[in-house]
Formats: sequence, C-alpha cells, structure tokens
Amino acid sequence: MTRLERRYRRFLLAYPAGYRKAHGDELIDILLDTAEPGRRTPEIREALGLLMGGLRTRVEHAAAGPAWRDGLHLGVAALTVANLAALLPFVTAIPLWTVLSAFTVLAVIRGRVRLALPLLLLTGAKATAIASGVPLFDHVLIPITSGPRSVDGLFATTGPQVVALSYALAFAGSLVLAAGAHPLKARSWWWLAVAPALCVGPALMGESKFPVGVVRAVAELGLLAAAVCAARMARDPRWGVAALVYLLSVTVAMAEHGPYLTVRHLAYWALLTLPAVTAVLVAREHRRTALR
Amino acid sequence: MYFVLTALLDGPLHGHAILKRIGELSAGRVRPTVGTLYAILERLAARGVLAVDHEETVNGRVRRYFRITDEGTAIVRSEARRMNEAAALVLNREALA
Repeated sequence: MTRLERRYRRFLLAYPAGYRKAHGDELIDILLDTAEPGRRTPEIREALGLLMGGLRTRVEHAAAGPAWRDGLHLGVAALTVANLAALLPFVTAIPLWTVLSAFTVLAVIRGRVRLALPLLLLTGAKATAIASGVPLFDHVLIPITSGPRSVDGLFATTGPQVVALSYALAFAGSLVLAAGAHPLKARSWWWLAVAPALCVGPALMGESKFPVGVVRAVAELGLLAAAVCAARMARDPRWGVAALVYLLSVTVAMAEHGPYLTVRHLAYWALLTLPAVTAVLVAREHRRTALR
Repeated sequence: MYFVLTALLDGPLHGHAILKRIGELSAGRVRPTVGTLYAILERLAARGVLAVDHEETVNGRVRRYFRITDEGTAIVRSEARRMNEAAALVLNREALA
C-alpha cells in the first residue's frame, strides 16, 4: 500500500463502516488512478470531497427506518443524557442514583427502552424527592452538594415539578417507543460522553436563578446545528422531532423561572428554538425535481 | 447531477469513466471530486434515476457500472428542455435586437 493510498484511506473513515467495506476499494481505485504521478499527499479538494461524501452517506444511512419513532428515540436519549448530566457533579454524594441514571442512558441509547422504563421511574422518583427535600428509598443529607466547599446543591435552582416533568417526558417517550413493534436502532456510545461534557466549564447567567453551563450551551447549539444540516441533507423529520422533544424540556425548565428570566435567557432560548424549528421546516421542503 | 446523467446516456460506465466523460462534456469546467461523484451516484440510485448495471473485478477490486433508468432519461431530457426554454428567453431577445 502506497503512502498516498494509506492517507486516502484515513479520509475514507468519514464513511460508515458498511459502506467502506462494500465500496471503499472502488473509491480508492479512482482516487489513485486520477492522482498526478509521484503524488504522496491527497489533493485537498479530494480530501474535502471524501469528508463531505462520508458525512452525507452517514446522514442518509441514519435516515433509514420510521422517522417519527427514530426522532422520538433520539429526543428521549437527549433527555436521559441531560438528566444524567444534572446528577454527575454529585456522584460522590449519590453514587447509586448516578450509576442507575447512567444505566438508563445506556438502556435508551442501545434501544432497550423496556429496560429503561423501571430505571426512569426509580431515578425520576428519587430525583423528584431530592428536589422536594423528602427522603425516599435511602437517607442522604439534603441539600446534596458536590463537595465540602460547594454551595450549590443538587436541584438548588430547580423545583420538584420541573424535575418530575423532565423524567415524565422521558418516561412517556420511552413508553410510546416500547409500545411500537419496530426495533429501535442502537445509538453511538458517544452519547455517554456527552453527559460529562455538559457539566464542565463556567456558567452563563451565573448570577441568576437559572444558570446554564457554557459548554452545555455550546454543545446544545452544535447538536441542533448538526440536526438542521442532517434534516436538510436527507429531507427527513427525525432530527427535527428530536430537537423539539429536547426543546420542550428546556422550555419547561425555563418557564419555571419566568419572572426571573433575563434578556440573555430569552436569547439563549431563541438560539435553541431557531435551529429546532428550522430542522422541522427544512425536512418539509420538497425537492423541486429529482435533480435537486 | 445533470452531467452525471448526461454522461450515462450513451451506456453504462464505471465511476472513473463517468468522471472523464463529465470532463469531456463540460470542456473541463465541471470536475466533481470522487466523494461528490459517489454521493450523487448513490443518491440518484436510491431515487431510481440510475441503477447498477453490472460489476467487474479489476486487480481484485470490484468496480460498479452504472446505467441510467428510463425514469432518469425522462428526467434529464425534461431538464434539458427546461434549460433550453430558459436560454431561449435571452438568446431569442439577442437575435431580435
């Protein structure tokens, strides 16, 4: 294998494994045939073409299967990740509940929603009890803090209704998914890495009653922008559905703090709403001809 | 997409030959990358506008030959007519002037 082929093969990693296995050699053949003699590094335009082609192929493969069901599955996965992210900073104080929450995410992303249902009930009941200041299942000191120096307790700025609603939304979505006959896709393991990422970094609107982590806001906007791109590429509603499910939970959480919200909160909400709605709208656009 | 379909009007071709034919048809103006070409080929195949005609193994590697379907031929002809009518709006005006 020449150096040029080895380098082009690295760019082929942008394609799904199945596609690479079936057609990777075919693409490499043409890339090598069309390369200038003696060339050792990939042409930039060809490398970009492979990255974009791989991305598009991944999106089109992801757009297979029933769209509404798949979109709901994605949305429920995002909700369970957000629920886990809320508990993670307090893992030393409530290790059992954080691990159960992580198992819930695992069950959802691997498509085992029936297994996720009792886990959601248990963790949801415990989280709501903590937010209400009521002991349930075990005895933990409330407020739960992330360390001896920490002043911000778990759910210190969130009321029990919002916590309960967030778990109820994930539970209801999982119930709908469990009732369907079509098997769910196993999602990427990367979903598990999203939760720790959501709880690091400084907070925006930190002085208010509804602070939002900078990394969380950036991750949300990045994922929603990706949802718009995917919806536009595949003209498929699943990413819009997932975005709306997640937006609903954020909206409920923000509504609780209605009188205390600042202009920056509203800007944050608008920044999330815009791509979520766009992802729905671009999926509804019809191709004018088969050549578009 | 238009050039890909036009390249296939004369018969089935494999990816490399499609690239060459597009270069000839467009006098070198259109040069899709291999990634772009295959994204177009897969999309058009998924829409039934073209299909894999047969496969050939060269140096141990499989090469697909693509052919345009009847639907694809109808679409590319209709697109050509549409562009012709659009061009006529300008060219006929110049001829009259």
